[in-house]
Amino acid sequence: MDFATFITQLNDAIYHENGPNLAYLLRPTSPHGKDLVKGFRNPTRQSLSIYDGSMQAPWDEIAIHYVLVCTHVAKKRYIDAFKDESQLVTLFLRFFTENRGWTLPALFSILRDLRDLAIDVRFPFNLRKYSNQKTECMEESARVIAKAFGNCMTDRTSPPEQSRKWGVYYVVGLVLKSYFRIKRISLSKNILRALEANNDIPPLSAYPRSHQVTFRYYIGMLSFLNEEFAKSEEELTLAFYNCHLEAHGNQERILAYLIPLRILRGNLPSAELLKRFPVLQEIFSPFIAAIQVGDLSAYDKALERWESRLLELNLWLSLEKARELCVRGLFRRVWVVSGKATRIPITTFHAALRVSGQILECDEAECLLANQIYRNYIRGYISHEKQMVVLASTNTFPKVADIPQPLASL
Amino acid sequence: MSSSSKPSEPSKDSKSDSKTDSKSETQQPHLGLLEEDDEFEEFPVADWKDSETDLAHLGGAAPGAAKSGGDKLWEDNWDDDDIEDEFSVQLRSELEKTKSSSTDMEQ
Repeated sequence: MDFATFITQLNDAIYHENGPNLAYLLRPTSPHGKDLVKGFRNPTRQSLSIYDGSMQAPWDEIAIHYVLVCTHVAKKRYIDAFKDESQLVTLFLRFFTENRGWTLPALFSILRDLRDLAIDVRFPFNLRKYSNQKTECMEESARVIAKAFGNCMTDRTSPPEQSRKWGVYYVVGLVLKSYFRIKRISLSKNILRALEANNDIPPLSAYPRSHQVTFRYYIGMLSFLNEEFAKSEEELTLAFYNCHLEAHGNQERILAYLIPLRILRGNLPSAELLKRFPVLQEIFSPFIAAIQVGDLSAYDKALERWESRLLELNLWLSLEKARELCVRGLFRRVWVVSGKATRIPITTFHAALRVSGQILECDEAECLLANQIYRNYIRGYISHEKQMVVLASTNTFPKVADIPQPLASL
Repeated sequence: MSSSSKPSEPSKDSKSDSKTDSKSETQQPHLGLLEEDDEFEEFPVADWKDSETDLAHLGGAAPGAAKSGGDKLWEDNWDDDDIEDEFSVQLRSELEKTKSSSTDMEQ
């Protein structure tokens, strides 16, 4: 394909409002990209200026920048490729803001390319100078994507079904993905605030499932990291159940955080669920097995064994909190072995803790018991003077899942 | 790499290598998809039906309702009164001991 044909095809796609085709034409990896690189040999912005005015602005410049991006990619000039793609996106946004939602497939595609090109910025030597440049490109791409978000949001003229607002959640998903990548998740607040402030966008459930699931995953992750566990559990549950079954990797990522949250509210993943995700089975099954039988020493061994990975994945805290369920299991076994008595001396629980490898004072055992009662894992009270636990005669150890708002008291 | 750094004892070196390898493996198993820099993937299609998700097996139950609520993916009832393992035996004998010692104290 030569440049003249390329321009004709761009004009065609614009005239017919064919978003997917426009996306295809602007993708650096499309086959015609290579043709154009060959046709021009070593094009520069200068040498291509003869094509200024060859299409209606800003498309002449977009076409020129497309050729430049493809050339830089072919010559492995990663930073230059990123910079020209960034200009291409900025030029496209000028067109975008004057058009309706049919342009969204092209927008999504060039924003993805921009991000990918920023990620691709790499050098044979791992020098600090270069790693800074890479971070700058990543930050710049996040800024450009955030700008595109604003341009989706502010569509006040298109009829509802053709609104650019149908791009809002996809683009926010990309912005959040970028912030997570550069580990600047605190930046998410601004864009989410802007999203919340705008109440005339369609409900999330009306958007395509791919937009919903990605958005909910990142909201769930943000809430998880902020220790808003109830909110996180809600979002990740919806993300998981709406995720495509064949997107196994994404389901696994969602579950890595959803499973500990479900455990905390008394829902252990079933064997059937874990069988589908061997990596998760390997991490979580020792904890689950320990909770089921109240084997505190096995639980602690699992925590210790996985410590560094759990810390890296930010999962350590939630599993450390879930240890309380294992303590509950142990105390429940004491109660069963004691013939489900309604009065059990604290020393008995203390002894049980010792058997399961916990070397601690009797006061500490009492403290653990008080905590269990506070969390409603055990129904009863402690008589401190008599050093006795007085237990309810019915529903002594309620099902954790039945406890109201189990995630709120964590 | 390690054999070139210690060329004098190649055989011993390879042995210790395999040992440390297997050790680190048992301590920190590989997490595959959850490795760093690996992120939530782009979906190949934009939209799909309920039947292509985990909503399909629910039969009207609320997502995450657990087995008692019709969701077979989660288990909300695991308390078992009949665990007979080594730990139970140990626990029982220990409790017998504390019981007798506390009655000793009372006397």
